[in-house]
Amino acid sequence: MADFAVSRSTVRTRLIAVFILTVLFTLLLIGRLAWIQIVRADELYEQAWEQWNHIIPVQTARGSIYDRHGRLLAGNTSAHTVAAIPLQIEDPLAISETLAPVLEMEPSAVYDLITMDRSAVYIKRKVSTEVAEKVRELGLSGIIFFNEERRYYPGGNLASQMLGFVGMDQGWAGLEIYYEDYLGSGFGTMVYPADRKGRQLPHDFHRYTLPQESYNLYLSVDETIQHILEKELARVMEQSAPKQAMAIAVDPNTGAVLAAASKPDFNPEEYDIYDPESWSLAPVTSSFEPGSTMKMVTVAAMIEEGLFEPAGRHYCKGYTSVNGIKINCWTVDRGGHGDISFYQSVGASCNPAFVEMSSLLGKEKFFQYLKAFGFGSITGIDYPGEASGLIFDPEAVGALELATSSFGQGISVTPIQQVMAVTAMINGGYLLQPYLVDEILNEDGEAVYKREPQVVRQVISKETSLELIDLMESVILNGTGYAAAVEGYRVAGKTGTAEKIGTDGAYLTDQFVYSLVGFAPLDNPRIVLYVAVDGVTRGPRLGVHTSAPLFRNIMEDTLNYLQVSPTELQPGQDNPEAD
Amino acid sequence: MDNLKTARESDNTLLLAVLILLAIGLIMVFSASFVVAGENHGDPYHFLKRQAMWVALGLLAMYLFSRIQYKKLKKLSLLIILLNFILLGLIFTGFGSGLGTEAKRWLVFGPVIVQPSEFSKLAFIIFTAAYMSSRSLNIKNFWTGSFIPLVLVCGAFYMINLQPDLGTAIVVLASCALVIIFAGMPFSQMAGLSLLCLPPLAYFTIKEEYRMQRIFTYIDPWTEPTGSGYQIIQSLYALGPGHLFGAGLGRSTQKLFYLPEPHNDFIFAVIGEELGFVGAVVILLLYLVLVWRGFLVAQKAPDLFGSLLAGGITFIIAAQVLINVAVVTGTIPVTGINLPFISAGGSSVFFTLISIGILLNISRYTQEKKTLKEFK
Repeated sequence: MADFAVSRSTVRTRLIAVFILTVLFTLLLIGRLAWIQIVRADELYEQAWEQWNHIIPVQTARGSIYDRHGRLLAGNTSAHTVAAIPLQIEDPLAISETLAPVLEMEPSAVYDLITMDRSAVYIKRKVSTEVAEKVRELGLSGIIFFNEERRYYPGGNLASQMLGFVGMDQGWAGLEIYYEDYLGSGFGTMVYPADRKGRQLPHDFHRYTLPQESYNLYLSVDETIQHILEKELARVMEQSAPKQAMAIAVDPNTGAVLAAASKPDFNPEEYDIYDPESWSLAPVTSSFEPGSTMKMVTVAAMIEEGLFEPAGRHYCKGYTSVNGIKINCWTVDRGGHGDISFYQSVGASCNPAFVEMSSLLGKEKFFQYLKAFGFGSITGIDYPGEASGLIFDPEAVGALELATSSFGQGISVTPIQQVMAVTAMINGGYLLQPYLVDEILNEDGEAVYKREPQVVRQVISKETSLELIDLMESVILNGTGYAAAVEGYRVAGKTGTAEKIGTDGAYLTDQFVYSLVGFAPLDNPRIVLYVAVDGVTRGPRLGVHTSAPLFRNIMEDTLNYLQVSPTELQPGQDNPEAD
Repeated sequence: MDNLKTARESDNTLLLAVLILLAIGLIMVFSASFVVAGENHGDPYHFLKRQAMWVALGLLAMYLFSRIQYKKLKKLSLLIILLNFILLGLIFTGFGSGLGTEAKRWLVFGPVIVQPSEFSKLAFIIFTAAYMSSRSLNIKNFWTGSFIPLVLVCGAFYMINLQPDLGTAIVVLASCALVIIFAGMPFSQMAGLSLLCLPPLAYFTIKEEYRMQRIFTYIDPWTEPTGSGYQIIQSLYALGPGHLFGAGLGRSTQKLFYLPEPHNDFIFAVIGEELGFVGAVVILLLYLVLVWRGFLVAQKAPDLFGSLLAGGITFIIAAQVLINVAVVTGTIPVTGINLPFISAGGSSVFFTLISIGILLNISRYTQEKKTLKEFK
């Protein structure tokens, strides 16, 4: 029996074997530890770092926009963003059902957000203080708040198209997008380590990447003039119910835009409920046939080329023919103007006279001037989506195209082009580049950008310019623009009535754009104003009743506001030729 | 036989290794648990207090057992194994509790909470050592040899696995098996039993889906980083950043709810993070010192029972350390076995210290080889 009992020597041998195995396994595990803690240490640390550290964006407030006198046009107001830390949410179903109605969201949408595998998620951004307060009162764990800024436009619709609007984090239209690089909130990050439930570790260090600062824009625009202009546009909209009305005022000495707007417009704080067509600043982004206002270009070219001399005359029989096509004067029914000087034909808006003038100029000269005044190309104003308009290619132009172009038909131009062309006509011949932003200041009030008036080119001589001023005054005083005259001031300008082209390419017989471009005061022009009323549907349908009063009212209020002293009308003033 | 009466001082190196491990254990339990304890129990010292109390009780018990002649245990072995089954059975009565979890592993007697399966490990080592050292035993014959202890341990395995607690059940099975292997079970029987065990093992693994998951995620934890692969990944995210010298005591980030059981099964990951590779290796070497001294006690024990008892006690501790560290390093699938002396867990440290007391007692009677030969 004893032979088969357990022997000490067997036990001893087996103990040695198991001990050796234990030592071997221990060494293997030390090797394994070395592999993890030394060889793969950096790689694992990087992955663990990602898990521990939460990255939260830090944002500076978006830059504000002010008018030329420092009056706020676009600023920020505090808003609250409701966010969740999914790891801290214990009952996502209950929380989503409680939260959804307060935030006006679908419970399922909230549920999807708060169950995401993220350290933090936005549930709804930039809600009002009232809504945030309601959520706070619910006292839900895992629901947190961020303070953010929401764009605020103190003037409501005022200058809305010029300013544009912002989406959640950046400018989407107007100056807001054009100057996004300056206005945009700088994004930085704060990195902090947290426990698995997303709670910041109190004693660990945080790392900041400081956001880039944002800048404030100071516009060339004067809020008061903008207000006057929009008030009058609204009045025209009310009285005549046109499809669109627009106006733009520019300082002819610098090219600074003083005010610009079109109606209908929108409220940038709730831009999404408006027709996107109302978002853009029509004086810059829309182009159409200018009509008679273009005649000034023809006249300017005639004077500069020495062809306009007071002796220049035309015999108007009510129409003229070009290549067999009959071109009517508006006086065709009463047999035309008869014998008329070129000078008088401007005020009389006699198309056949202009056809003759353009043929005297020849197409090369004519188009050379047209381009030199800036037509057919963008002005380069600091506003997105500027239109360039369309003029005939001089190579392909025949006598008919030249003839119609001379009185502003068959080409398309933008209001801003017309304003700048008139500016050149009256400031001694200098075509200026228009601009909206005058200065950009940093947070410390230091200018990082200062706009200087920029001359694109000299188009005509000073003498020609002076003659043109005279001519335009005669239009207001004696011609078609009489209704635009401002009592007590010397105002000059040119009217236009453009026919509109329908979708089929043919002229519409009942749709006109009544426009007027003029300036004041005559001896030292402070403002060039362009107005246009498009597609009147109510009341009288002539420029006399629409664009002219619009022009007059804006001009009158603006001159008063600018405290331009009224000019005594000298005897004989109504006869420009005696001047 | 007179040798047994000439008791000497117990093995101080062994004792020192154990005391150092216990001290590290208390520090690390506190470091790993104070945040979780503060949050879940409103008291950062919750786990430290309990662990310190059990360590104190365990040290007292250790001292007592080091003074009680181990030979007496041989006579009590039947009683011990009976007590073991009674305690395991009580789990299924009103005394059993899951302490708020699904797994019913504890017995609650008023303020005293005991995990009987921790006692089972020691009970089976004592019983099997006593049984195998019987002079009338024929180790070559399976039926008259190791059959009875194996049947009993399979019963215990089944009961513990029902709780469920597969990890501890495996350790209990191993306690018995280790002693049988030391006793000289023929290799043919070992191979046969292994083959016999494979089908039920495979069945148990496949039956519970989470065990399959553990196997798959062991192969590639990143296939399911949020599910069962999560534990392994989090453990690696503790060890890796620990690098050579660690983040410093108390400065683990992974214990902040990233690691599951940071003060328990995964405490070695926290050690690796706070004390680095160097700290982790020092602890492994301390265990190796303990195993070395325990191995010598087993070699030099004056009788067969003492040798088997010392071998069983020593190497079941070694086995648990190796399995725990292998799990924490992602070397084997997650099993749920804690780190002796260090992991939080009252019953575990209490019964392990009793077994160390027994080991220390045996060490008082060890003899040099020469004398042993004469004895034989």
